Amino acid sequence: MYKKSIINGFKKGLDTLWKLGKIIIPVYFFVTFLHYTPILYKLSNFFEPAMKILGLPGEASLALVLGNFINLFAGVGAMLTLDLSSKQATILAIMLSFSHGQVLESAVAKKVGVSLSLVVITRLTLAFTMGVLFNMIL
Amino acid sequence: MDFLAYLKESTVNSLSSLLTMAKIIIPLMIVMEVLKDAKVLEKVSEKLKPIARFYNISNGAVFPLLVGIFFGLAYGAGVIIESAEDNNLGSKDLYTIIIFLIICHAIVEDTLIFTVVGANLWLLFFTRLIVAIIITFFASKIFDKSFLEKEIGDYLK
Repeated sequence: MYKKSIINGFKKGLDTLWKLGKIIIPVYFFVTFLHYTPILYKLSNFFEPAMKILGLPGEASLALVLGNFINLFAGVGAMLTLDLSSKQATILAIMLSFSHGQVLESAVAKKVGVSLSLVVITRLTLAFTMGVLFNMIL
Repeated sequence: MDFLAYLKESTVNSLSSLLTMAKIIIPLMIVMEVLKDAKVLEKVSEKLKPIARFYNISNGAVFPLLVGIFFGLAYGAGVIIESAEDNNLGSKDLYTIIIFLIICHAIVEDTLIFTVVGANLWLLFFTRLIVAIIITFFASKIFDKSFLEKEIGDYLK
């Protein structure tokens, strides 16, 4: 009965997977490469004090930056290279789920006439507040 | 730096993560497509009219809101624009939908992908949903006030 839907769904699944892979694989290579260089170490040291409030290691800042500037999948790709506890993974996931792909997604908001800066600030504030909150309660 | 080890590690790890995601994404997309074609959300949004009362928005706004929550922003935006024309959605309706969706969209897909990296599924799901419900509630109150002021302002002109 829903044969066509199933086939379409399968195609959409592959399509989504392609979109995921296209981002996650290069990001994974890129971030793993950074692990071998002093760049990540320096970056991580720089962000460490701020990330401490969130209960996250300094390297996690890279996942937040990539997730916000590129898209959610890039954030996930960077997350895959990190060695996180389940608490840390949950905190980072909550933060990224509130705030990601700002460039593209905020454009949708703008199309409907909602202020761009309002949207970006709301999402970043939520992400940060929730991160701090869950670091305290988890 | 051992370049070969790097290539091997990155290739194997990234592909195996992608494979794990494939096992989630493909069945999910099939289910979503069947639900979409069975017009389940249309039927559900009939039952969820109280949402419209909660946010003081029109009944026609419930369906695009649900589409965005479950199917994501890109698809949701299309339905929003369509419904805006078909059902005469006002600015308050659109603002309210967008505020909710900017906080919480594609909830099933996003949440499941995060389980691959070890996040707690239900905590992630409910946090996002509940925060969106609360923030949108306050936003809708503010919209009520500001749109009312605008209307009065227009009337007095």
